[in-house]
Amino acid sequence: MPPVHRSVVYDWLRHDKKFPHVWCPGCGLGILLGSLLRALVESGLDKNQVVLVSGIGCSGRLPVYVDVGSVHTTHGRALTFATGIKLAKPELKVITVMGDGDATAIGGNHLIHAARRNLDITAIIVNNQTYGMTGGQYSPTTPLGAKATTAPYGHIEPSFDISALSATAGAAFVARSTVYHVTQLDQLLGQAIAKPGFGVVEVLSPCHTNFGRQNRLGSQVDMMKEFKRKGMRVERWRELPEGRRAESIPLGVLVDRDLPVFGQSYDRICDAASRRGEAGK
Amino acid sequence: MSGKAARPKPAQTGESKVSFFPAWCKRCGNCVAFCPRGALKRDQWGYPVLADPDRCTSCGLCEMLCPDFALSVGEAGPKPAGAGAPRGSRVAPTTSPERLAPEPNGGEEDGNG
Ligand code: SF4
Ligand code: SF4
Repeated sequence: MPPVHRSVVYDWLRHDKKFPHVWCPGCGLGILLGSLLRALVESGLDKNQVVLVSGIGCSGRLPVYVDVGSVHTTHGRALTFATGIKLAKPELKVITVMGDGDATAIGGNHLIHAARRNLDITAIIVNNQTYGMTGGQYSPTTPLGAKATTAPYGHIEPSFDISALSATAGAAFVARSTVYHVTQLDQLLGQAIAKPGFGVVEVLSPCHTNFGRQNRLGSQVDMMKEFKRKGMRVERWRELPEGRRAESIPLGVLVDRDLPVFGQSYDRICDAASRRGEAGK
Repeated sequence: MSGKAARPKPAQTGESKVSFFPAWCKRCGNCVAFCPRGALKRDQWGYPVLADPDRCTSCGLCEMLCPDFALSVGEAGPKPAGAGAPRGSRVAPTTSPERLAPEPNGGEEDGNG
């Protein structure tokens, strides 16, 4: 797929912000930002129709750079603000950008309940397996045995699978990609944005500065090559024998199902209640 | 607005296939590492240059894998306002992206024409 031209993407950047942006050289968040802008442009949405909401962490800075309505909220609470925005103004396209710590630790409860409710919100969860901004503490997605500043002898807890968690909790759409698989990422973001209901896109992204350094994984180029080596289309991955699945990371659309969307159910309830109210007069 | 209809075709031949905007480049090396054709190289400072324009197929992967919007495939991005950034500028002169972008290729020859 040829990229949407830079000048078009440029148009969606917030021009009074300081560039280059704050992220480390090579950080996947910049690649995701480009991908999201291309997906938004491709989806034909107007800037005034889009709201980006983020929590705290490196990912929290992303909406700040985009020339749409944006809210940089407290830690883990992106989905709560997004819920309010969506219910107050259902015509808006509400997209949250969260990190793994933001979405599955402090905001973990909000994530599962937003998925269960199936609110019409797109949740982009950037998984770099660590708390990058605060110096590389372990997060709920830090793999068992991996090093972190708070796990100098290796992490003793198993990790969450963000996509599996979201699917189990009831999200209508769940997809996974990496910042290396950027053309696929563009498409998946577009699909998630178009999907009515709660859409989760888990984006694997390298934090070479903290997670990579502590675990001797090399530069972000090395970490992205690892995504390339391990990434496999989910259709192919499902054909692998059970014993070999752990070696690869399934990428693509993991779940796509039609479920009752919260906003529509809510409208129906309001209609029914007001009809009964009228009848009782 | 449909992005599809408005999208300009990348230049297949001729002048600059890849435009560089060094003021935004953090020299991370993604573009050079992941160009499937090996067309990009780093200069002595670590900034990317299109070392082998004939190998470039204008696939756009370098642009998509650049975290900093520091290069562009196809036609040059928005021109800097006024006289433009000083030749080879690597310092952001203003906060406006258009004006931040120096002349494509820093006004230098890219060996392409
Ligand atoms: S457009 Fe493609 S072939 Fe050309 S320099 Fe970029 S990555 Fe390489
Ligand atoms: S990917 Fe972008 S920021 Fe990194 S070296 Fe290339 S042009 Fe510079």
